[in-house]
Amino acid sequence: MSSEKTVARFVDVDVTYGGDVDALSHITLDIYEGDFLGIIGPNGAGKTTLLNVLLGLTPPKRGSVSLFGGSVSASGLRRVGYVPQKVATAEANSPFTVYETVLMGRTPRAGPLHRLGHEDYNKAEEVLRLLGIHELSRRKMGELSGGQSQRVLMAKALVGDPDLLVLDEPTSGVDSPSRVEIYRILAELNRVRGITMMLSTHDIGVVKSLTNRVAFLHRSLLFQGSTSELSDQVLSRMYDYPIEITEDGRVCDYPLEHLTHNDHA
Amino acid sequence: MIMLSSLLSLLMEPFIQRAFLVGIIIALASSVLGVFIVLKKISLIGDGLAHTAFGGLALGYYLDVVPLWAAAVVVVVGAIGITKSTRSKKISGDAAVAVILQLGLASGVVLLSLARGFGVNLDSLLFGSILLVDSTQILTAGVVLVLTLGVILVFYKELQYTTFDESQARASGISTSFFDYLISVLTGIVVIASIPIVGVLLISAMIVIPALMSLQVSSSFKHTLILSPVFSTISVIAGLLISIILDTASGATIVLTAILGLILILGFKRISSTSKQRSQSQSIQS
Repeated sequence: MSSEKTVARFVDVDVTYGGDVDALSHITLDIYEGDFLGIIGPNGAGKTTLLNVLLGLTPPKRGSVSLFGGSVSASGLRRVGYVPQKVATAEANSPFTVYETVLMGRTPRAGPLHRLGHEDYNKAEEVLRLLGIHELSRRKMGELSGGQSQRVLMAKALVGDPDLLVLDEPTSGVDSPSRVEIYRILAELNRVRGITMMLSTHDIGVVKSLTNRVAFLHRSLLFQGSTSELSDQVLSRMYDYPIEITEDGRVCDYPLEHLTHNDHA
Repeated sequence: MIMLSSLLSLLMEPFIQRAFLVGIIIALASSVLGVFIVLKKISLIGDGLAHTAFGGLALGYYLDVVPLWAAAVVVVVGAIGITKSTRSKKISGDAAVAVILQLGLASGVVLLSLARGFGVNLDSLLFGSILLVDSTQILTAGVVLVLTLGVILVFYKELQYTTFDESQARASGISTSFFDYLISVLTGIVVIASIPIVGVLLISAMIVIPALMSLQVSSSFKHTLILSPVFSTISVIAGLLISIILDTASGATIVLTAILGLILILGFKRISSTSKQRSQSQSIQS
């Protein structure tokens, strides 16, 4: 699905926190149209920071970032859907309903001074059905579980018909059936509609089975390439931890695989 | 306490009717804005700006210019200052409000004491004098209401998104800083128009309490925006009536009425959720 047309580009990007703590160092990375890019790395590796730089939420200290061939600006960001890392479940008295929240995703597309219309309402209904949360439409965000909230945020990201979907650990706190369903939808959106995806995750199995390109981040980019190049050796070396990919593509966490009931006893 | 006949004849008095009219106008403007302020967790901004206005009024008296205009300029500068400090994240938002609040109050007290009070009725500045409003103040309040509602209608979807989650709105290309400044400056303008009614010390309650009442019972964000002015208007009408009957300070009585309303709503909500839980557990047992 991937083409050679660049959707986003990082050129020698550095980000520091508090002036001297390196969050990202010398990041050079291209995301091509139709890519499903998996971004992996340990906690604190800078995955969220990388996405925040692309979204204009964190300014780089050095280097340049471009989006759809231009600088990171409102016009480019209007073509991006963003699913944030799992935030705390909305406060109990949050008045926003699921429908209102999803509809907010149409705001950038409608542009300033334009009211939302029937096309926007129909699109919200369509996305709510696609993600299986239509029956929650009138529920308030504060009444939802973490998994339901994540689906709503994903619907909000999709409702604006994005060309690029940026997903920051979108399934943390989501139960297994919902997780599988969410990844099935993402794969279909990438394959059928050609939406470019940037997925930050700890789930190497998902990256292995879903994405076509991988970037391993640990402050700097330690690996980037085709998913097929992601072998046991590469993963184990990067995580400094024994990781094994089985013949059927499952990823085994080596020490956990050897923890048997007898060991517990 | 006055008799019913005296109350009815009082209600026919133009100054009482003006008080109700201006009270309702300010109630509408402050309560709609209050929904955004409460949800953005900047509830103290009203207090901060009101105290800044106090400093501005004192400056106006000191410089011998129209005090309300001096206060308006100072409040707008204060609103921008609070928002800038909050957004810079160098100091926390509540600390920024606290510093600007104390700056406004302390400057006002010093300026007033420098000129031995300028013959200013401090009580009316601090607690309001709704029964003394004139037609110019009503007109000003009306303009402020139209401006507030107009801005909210025009930028409704952007304000809603920014209130829901600033980072997500910013990542969608919305200029959230512009909307933060807009809400702060609008709040400053509403505060200036409200000082004659509830005074410097109580205006924050007019902004925050109706929104809190509305949030307890509303079923959506839009519903919250509609209910907040309803609760605010009821509080102003009931508070004014009570203040006339009991011959108490009108601004403070309006605020106490609103707080009583909030307590009643919280109480009803608690009773209703307890009885709902009880009926659910009974149906599970049976």
